[in-house]
Amino acid sequence: MATLSDQLLHRIREAHRRRTLSWWERIYLPAIAQGLWVTSVHFWRNLFLHLAHRVGLFRRIPAAVTVQYPDEQRPTAPRLRTRHRLMQREDGTPRCVGCMLCETVCPAKCIYIVPGEHPDPSVEKYARSFDLDLGKCVYCGYCVEVCPEDAIRMDTQRHDIAAFSRDGMWLDIIELLHPGSRKHTDPPKKFIQLELEDFRRLKQSG
Amino acid sequence: MWIDLVIKFALAGIVLFAVLNLAGIQTWVERKQSAVMQDRVGANRAYFTLPWWWAAPINWLLRKIGGLGLLHPLADVIKLLTKEDFVPASGSRLLHWLAPWISVFFALVAFAAIPFGDSLHLFGRTIELQVAHLDAALLYVLALASIGIYGVILAGLASGNNLATLGGLRAASQMFAYEIALGVSLIGVILWYGTLDLQEIIRRQGDLLGGWLPAWGVCVQPLGCVIFMTAALAETKRIPFDLPEGEPEIIGYFVEYSGMKFGLFFLTDFVETVLVAALTTVLFFGGWQIPWLAPGAFSPNVMALLGVGAFTLKVCVFLWLFMAIRWTLPRFRYDQLMRLGWKILFPLSLANIGATGVLRVLVR
Amino acid sequence: MAEPVKTVTLTVDGKSVTVPPGTTVLQACEQADSPVPFYCYHPGLSIAGNCRICLVEIEKAPKLQIACYTQAAEGMVVRTASDNVLQGRQDVLEFLLVNHPLDCPVCDQAGECWLQDYYMAYGLYNQKFDEQKVKKSAKAVSIGPTVMLDMERCILCSRCVRFCDEITKTGELGIFNRGDHSELGIHPGKPLDNPYAGNVVDVCPVGALTDKDFRFKCRVWYLGSTSSVCPGCSKGCNIEIHDNRERGQRPHIAQGRRIMRLKPRYNPDVNQWWMCDEGRYGYKFIDENRLTQVQLRDGSGYRAGSWDEALGLLTQTLRRLKDAQQLDRAGVVLSTHLTNEDLYVAKRVFGGFGIRSLAVQPARQGSQDDFLRRADKSPNTRGAQAMGLSFDVKAVLERAARKELSLLWVFGGDLVELAGEAQAKTIADSVDLLVFQGSNVNRTCQLAHMILPSAVYAEKDGTFTNEAGRVQRIRQAVQPLGEAKPEWRVLLDVADRTGFLWEFRDAQGVFGSLASHEAAFKGLSYDVLGDQGAMLPQKGSDPSGKGSDPNR
Repeated sequence: MATLSDQLLHRIREAHRRRTLSWWERIYLPAIAQGLWVTSVHFWRNLFLHLAHRVGLFRRIPAAVTVQYPDEQRPTAPRLRTRHRLMQREDGTPRCVGCMLCETVCPAKCIYIVPGEHPDPSVEKYARSFDLDLGKCVYCGYCVEVCPEDAIRMDTQRHDIAAFSRDGMWLDIIELLHPGSRKHTDPPKKFIQLELEDFRRLKQSG
Repeated sequence: MWIDLVIKFALAGIVLFAVLNLAGIQTWVERKQSAVMQDRVGANRAYFTLPWWWAAPINWLLRKIGGLGLLHPLADVIKLLTKEDFVPASGSRLLHWLAPWISVFFALVAFAAIPFGDSLHLFGRTIELQVAHLDAALLYVLALASIGIYGVILAGLASGNNLATLGGLRAASQMFAYEIALGVSLIGVILWYGTLDLQEIIRRQGDLLGGWLPAWGVCVQPLGCVIFMTAALAETKRIPFDLPEGEPEIIGYFVEYSGMKFGLFFLTDFVETVLVAALTTVLFFGGWQIPWLAPGAFSPNVMALLGVGAFTLKVCVFLWLFMAIRWTLPRFRYDQLMRLGWKILFPLSLANIGATGVLRVLVR
Repeated sequence: MAEPVKTVTLTVDGKSVTVPPGTTVLQACEQADSPVPFYCYHPGLSIAGNCRICLVEIEKAPKLQIACYTQAAEGMVVRTASDNVLQGRQDVLEFLLVNHPLDCPVCDQAGECWLQDYYMAYGLYNQKFDEQKVKKSAKAVSIGPTVMLDMERCILCSRCVRFCDEITKTGELGIFNRGDHSELGIHPGKPLDNPYAGNVVDVCPVGALTDKDFRFKCRVWYLGSTSSVCPGCSKGCNIEIHDNRERGQRPHIAQGRRIMRLKPRYNPDVNQWWMCDEGRYGYKFIDENRLTQVQLRDGSGYRAGSWDEALGLLTQTLRRLKDAQQLDRAGVVLSTHLTNEDLYVAKRVFGGFGIRSLAVQPARQGSQDDFLRRADKSPNTRGAQAMGLSFDVKAVLERAARKELSLLWVFGGDLVELAGEAQAKTIADSVDLLVFQGSNVNRTCQLAHMILPSAVYAEKDGTFTNEAGRVQRIRQAVQPLGEAKPEWRVLLDVADRTGFLWEFRDAQGVFGSLASHEAAFKGLSYDVLGDQGAMLPQKGSDPSGKGSDPNR
């Protein structure tokens, strides 16, 4: 281990040294009173504003900074890593080529891909089945980072993963291609394997 | 005779009703006051509606008070009652059950000696607004408050959990330390008023000093008042003195409690807070006395009822103050706690006795 | 053989190496621990010298030389890591990759691709090429029943062409057109369909030739590898078993099957670098139609039993026969698919009881040729012979049909195939207890009174003795499926319950006992066998010496 420079040592000592308190400060009561004053000012101001809001006054001055989450939602930053989705080609088939790089890189091992042979040799491979277990996902975004086809993104702005069971947190390929299409009470279609035709039909049926 | 018994039962019922309600409402106040202090909204979710069409106005009302969070205490109670009541396999089932009851029982019984109003004169009878008129009421209250320690220690030991045992021991040492400062600080009051009877102490605070200053304990015993309030707060085991509990970090004596048994400890906390507020009022803030109101302004019965109102108001103010302190100050470190109890409050209260004695002789 | 041995001494990267004359510089470099990269060179094929990546600097030569085609000469000074050489390799690699598509994510070779490996080791250049890539005509085309061709990925090293010309001598593949339009292909109407076609996938250093059987099944970086021996015939080709080692976390891969593919393993005395397609794709039975639990007959159907129950029943039957002095009423049919260890323990345990009706079922016969495939389709006929076991299974079965047996214990083989449907039924009806112990479902399972699951070769340790008498190890690649156990383990359990005491508890111990009790195996041990196996000792010869293989 490298030895600390004198300058750094000095700064550490300075930071550790405590300011000596005066007698007035050491009895603490004034500080307690000060603290009580601050909190009481907030209390009475907010109490007044809450009551005033009840009768329709001073609506523009907020009395609380709380966001009532399920009822009102704060807009999220576009770069926030939220629930995954799979990108589609124009005809509704997944852009994913089933290279399994995301499955490999995933530190939580929550991605499960079953590839199939694509009739177009220039595509060659596609994901017949693509499952993601949100119960295991750590939202690291490596799958998005590693994808050579930009086929998986984490930009749905959905961050609620409430479910009644662990299975409910499972995203099948239909849900991933069409985020929000599965009701959270429905069981996921685990490892469902779809043909290209099925994907096209899914897109048409919306 | 029978009628006296009925009167005593009625008084006890009134006190119990008031105290338990105050404690229950405090759970709501705790949430709401802290939220308002911290620019939050606080509890505002729990409500229920009745399914019948004619219940529409009731539902409207339920929604309104639900929006204020007033139904949260009810929801809490339902939750606590329906939760699993868990006793660790290594714990003692009987003591585990007994501990919360000891705590809450002695906290409630202490209220018997608290006078909440002047005497009432009805149908040729004189009714003292106090459940039990004791000559040594102050000692009685102190004694019962001390017994509360047993509940805490038992809870820690009966849990069969080392962390809970440590929490219980921590609670015991803290309560002993502050019990002494508490008791010694009150000797000043006893010296000054010359009695242990709480009703008598209140009566003697009715005078005006120098014609304008109420002869309240806080005016004649300011140091005693500060020491008492500090030590009493420590007795209630609430922030900044919540080292026995400190559930998120240091784990307290009731870590193995769940359901309504945990709820009883919770209730004890609030009951003790009410008790401390009532004692502070009685000893240092004139009890049911209304200052600057001429004694004969209204008929004695109206005066007595006004006194009850004044007493309630004073208690509520102190409850608010204790709540504000709880949400303002951070928790003490354990060494700071012990230093404050033994090295500061205890010598100060001793000094207070000396000063009071000297002053008493001089003033007389 | 007192011929004077001539040698050549040269210097590779400052290190002096002595090699026999005729050795190429590439081999000399390998001997000097300075390996040179190569694509087209293959030790089992003729030298083409067309990939040019094996450039080395040779003193007094005007230009960089290819190491694979230059013969080592006395006093040569070779440098394999000079700046010139590295620059040359980088340039060659850039040329090779000019028309190579960037489709590694969908390419099955990714992860074991030599282009990837060498690019990471020697490439890492800034690409100077900004023209259009030449699109080759064939992308993902089937050129035979087992092989897919992706012409875009081909670097025209011609290894596969040389394999078909020189090893199988079938010549299906060729390189057509010229310049950057050169393409590998088959002749019209003549697909790549020979018994060794799968080897072209192995020799292909890039993803141009891929195996249809393995295609898209599993990424190669999920594979675990275990050295073993092919059980497909008596040749005993050395193989590597590639299993999905992440199946615990990735159960969806290949429907949860465990074994992904087999690859040949180099053994100069048996199969060199090759294996036949029959063996290569003969691993399916490991995960299909397996017997996974002990079953006991219950009326017309079966119920699940436990090992405890089944072994108890067997022990009880054996003991009753022994007490009644009727041990000749027990018969055992062994199989040549069993390992030496299984056969040995069977011989000892049943011999110890005094059961004499013990015979090995002869192997199924199949197609053969003069290269690797053998007619005897079982891996261990020679082992059973070496232990002196009887092959007269007919006699045992006839006794059973004549109701002279009350216990018949069949290992592995199919009784119906052996005796015919009618006789098998007669046997099943006439014995009191017909035990079938095998790994896969077959027709005997419907007749047996007790079914014991056994482990397949990929699930157990052991040895096979090939037709030439070479004893070679198989190793456990995966855990036995369900309740399955190796046969020798079950036999030991039976022996334990009947009071025999055995000093060994693993396959190695069994083999040690085998080597000390069976004269034919004298002096052998797992240490002696190593990775390449060892010959059964001839009378008076040294067992540890690697005897010459007559089939070579």
